[in-house]
Amino acid sequence: MKELLVELLMEDKTLIHVPFGNGFFDIAKSVVITWIVMAIVIIAVLLLTRDLKVHNISRRQAVLESCVLWLREAIGGMLGEEGAMYSDYMVTVLVFIGVSNMVGLFGVTPPTMDLNVTIALSVMSIILVEAAGIAKKGAKGWLKSFAEPMPVIAPMNVLELVIRPLSLCMRLFGNILGATVIMELIRSVVPIVLPAALSLYFDLFDGAIQAYVFCFLTSLYIKEAVE
Amino acid sequence: MDLTAIGAAIAAFTGIGAGIGIGIATSKATDAVARQPEADGKIMKLLLLGCALAEATAIYGFVVAIMIILFS
Repeated sequence: MKELLVELLMEDKTLIHVPFGNGFFDIAKSVVITWIVMAIVIIAVLLLTRDLKVHNISRRQAVLESCVLWLREAIGGMLGEEGAMYSDYMVTVLVFIGVSNMVGLFGVTPPTMDLNVTIALSVMSIILVEAAGIAKKGAKGWLKSFAEPMPVIAPMNVLELVIRPLSLCMRLFGNILGATVIMELIRSVVPIVLPAALSLYFDLFDGAIQAYVFCFLTSLYIKEAVE
Repeated sequence: MDLTAIGAAIAAFTGIGAGIGIGIATSKATDAVARQPEADGKIMKLLLLGCALAEATAIYGFVVAIMIILFS
């Protein structure tokens, strides 16, 4: 058990050594896999949005349009009317986290299993939440919003600035790591058939749910901030 | 005596709370959908939020257990 955890968490994660000055500028494995995920998503988007028309749309365009509308409506409904302009960012994050979680299907370690990736995502989220609050209420109104609904709980509201991104990043990281650890344990006991069936649950279902939950909570915070 | 494994096992007991919480939430959501099938979407959203928050405790326990194993 300990060897497995050490292998998953403590190993040297650098993949590419780039000479930089006197030392090295190391590029971690998760960064390279993130690039691959980005390439997959960008190529898929470029292929899907080729020659779109207004009239006589092809079947591909009809499916694409309904997917985009469905995603926008699902996220826009969580954001509320005030924060509807942030829905594009949330859809992007949803697609990125979803694809990164599902990359485990192909036997690659998901980049979201690296704590650094999830910390970056959750810090981006909390910055967006606070920026949305400032853009909506102005700096003064944003500062005042800490004393709502009562001035007594202002320390709690300040603490939430730290707790929210911490719980967001720990939730994503812990879920993906837990799924990977369980998959590895099962693979060491039953090497065939069973891992394939379980990877459907752990990689596809759990990955999609976690991506949805991440976006859902961020949208909820944004909705709260712009109210 | 090495009590690391027992410590990690105790940390994994947080799963009990998360399991009970998600179970209660799901049973209530099933009740609500049975009563008002048209409020399906809203209930689903709230259920997912509640499950995510309840599950967080189990995840914290898991992370603590891993830290105990790795850094003891």
